[in-house]
Amino acid sequence: MRAQITIGLVCAAVALVAPFTASEFWVFVFIEMLAFALYAVSFNLLLGYGGMLAFGHAVFFGVGAYAVAILMKKAGLDALCAILLAPLISAVAGAIIGYFCNRLSGIYLGMLTFAFQMLAYTVVLKSYSFTGGDDGLSGLKITGFAASPRGFYLVTLVVVAVALLLLWRLVHSPFGLALRAQRGNPNRSVALGINVSLHRWMTFVIAALFAGLAGGLFALANQSVFPGWLNWNATATPIVMAILGGMNSFFGPIIGSIIYVLMQTWLTGLTEYWALFLGTTIILIVMLLPNGVMSLWQGRKP
Amino acid sequence: MAFFSTFDWIGDPVVVLRQFMAGLANGMLLFLVAAGLSLIFGISRVVNFAHGSIFMLGAYVAFTIVNLAGQSLLAFFLALVVSTSFTFLFGVVFEILFLRRIYRSPQALQLLVTFGLVLILGDAVRLIWGPEENSIVVPPNLDGVVHPFGVSFPVYRFALIAAGIAICIGLWSLLYRSRWGTLVRAATVDREMLQALGVDVRRLLTTVFGLGAGLAGLAGGLAAPIMSIGPGMHSQVLVDAFVIVVIGGMGSLPGALIGALVVGQANAFGTLAFPSFAIVIPFLVMTVLLIFRPRGLLGKPE
Repeated sequence: MRAQITIGLVCAAVALVAPFTASEFWVFVFIEMLAFALYAVSFNLLLGYGGMLAFGHAVFFGVGAYAVAILMKKAGLDALCAILLAPLISAVAGAIIGYFCNRLSGIYLGMLTFAFQMLAYTVVLKSYSFTGGDDGLSGLKITGFAASPRGFYLVTLVVVAVALLLLWRLVHSPFGLALRAQRGNPNRSVALGINVSLHRWMTFVIAALFAGLAGGLFALANQSVFPGWLNWNATATPIVMAILGGMNSFFGPIIGSIIYVLMQTWLTGLTEYWALFLGTTIILIVMLLPNGVMSLWQGRKP
Repeated sequence: MAFFSTFDWIGDPVVVLRQFMAGLANGMLLFLVAAGLSLIFGISRVVNFAHGSIFMLGAYVAFTIVNLAGQSLLAFFLALVVSTSFTFLFGVVFEILFLRRIYRSPQALQLLVTFGLVLILGDAVRLIWGPEENSIVVPPNLDGVVHPFGVSFPVYRFALIAAGIAICIGLWSLLYRSRWGTLVRAATVDREMLQALGVDVRRLLTTVFGLGAGLAGLAGGLAAPIMSIGPGMHSQVLVDAFVIVVIGGMGSLPGALIGALVVGQANAFGTLAFPSFAIVIPFLVMTVLLIFRPRGLLGKPE
């Protein structure tokens, strides 16, 4: 617990100071870290806290991103309205997918969420007039304070911090405890009067909401969206981040997302074959540090 | 964009028959990949994400051998033998070095290791064979066209179907008529009990993974003359194999056969009926099936 607070404080300090000392390229990298941190924590709600290996979490990230892009480009809304609406649209997607998935377990749950993601991917790819197909949508202009990279960084920082605070409160609330209880023993939880499938369903909705927010922020940071964000490769991103950092703690996925973004930024700049090194790192981490980087500090499971 | 193409072809038996045979040949290839995936899952509960990549490796090895040994039927058979044995050995080594150590870890970790292998193999083939798309021609004696009932079929399509049936029978007799197969089926039911009876389950797991990888490699070799051999060829095969295994039931070999035939036909006729949304049709079948029968057609409840 103390280690978690220390890490949290260090991260907060770096997050406040860094963008004003770094170049614009690094400001963008920091924005990416923030969006991915929220993405990873929202995913860990399902995997770490709920024990659900949702294999298509990218669908919610993608729906949030495309919602922002379509609302801005096709409906003519401004960035603020779009980013407020996008998580709600993603939450609706979470409600639909969660409705079908909350009674499944193990690998079948993973497969069904994966199927929904591939469906979304294909629809996005083929609905050319609406989503831009292969090319995606670009030219998402932000006006006002957030138009400059540092301004947008500060907005993202505040939004992500508030979202993470809400998620922190959620996992430490009775709801979060019930969620962890059904992960450990669903039958006993039912006997104790917990509506297990309702809790799992709600978790889908909440995780989708925050993943959609992360996707929307990421779309605004890039000023564009691409179908690759929904592709089957993208499905592994939140899993890698959660496990890299450690899925047994709240802060693990945040650390994981920072490492993941740093590694990707560094490797893509260094070599064309960055996937080779990323794959090797993933395998090494799983073999050597199965509980993630956070286990170096913790030494025990919460 | 035409959402529906015309349905004129329904009344045209020549088109229907040709499409049916194409679907059958495609289904037989997919069965080889899916059978390995299903066998591995049945015995070790590992979902091998890298199965499509091993298929790709098989195709590349076949490409190299054919280029070295020349354009003859014998060279092609040699290529098949080499790609099968190479991927078999590759699977054995990968299982011993990595997977063997994490069978007791959470499913997400096993998934991540195989995903790491996907990234590594994707870049490895680019490093070794270059980023361009390669192809080999259909081997002589199999490159003709036959005209039964006045409909022209490529001979190689018949060869694929025949090879698929032969391998299917071979696999069936291996699993149901040999001591090794009996042990594999026993391990699928209760690994601990089998271990307690004095069977070396570790070695059994290794050989099953090797067999699955070898089947995927063989499929890659067989597909090499009719597919474009490039670094991206693994994803469609993997996705199809996932769908097949889920439709048929994870761990069930007859299920994989049924699933492969269904997906083969869905691909073939989907292309005719909904040209731009053909890729979604197998997913729709899978999604509907998972909602009403989560364990697949012939799978056992988890």
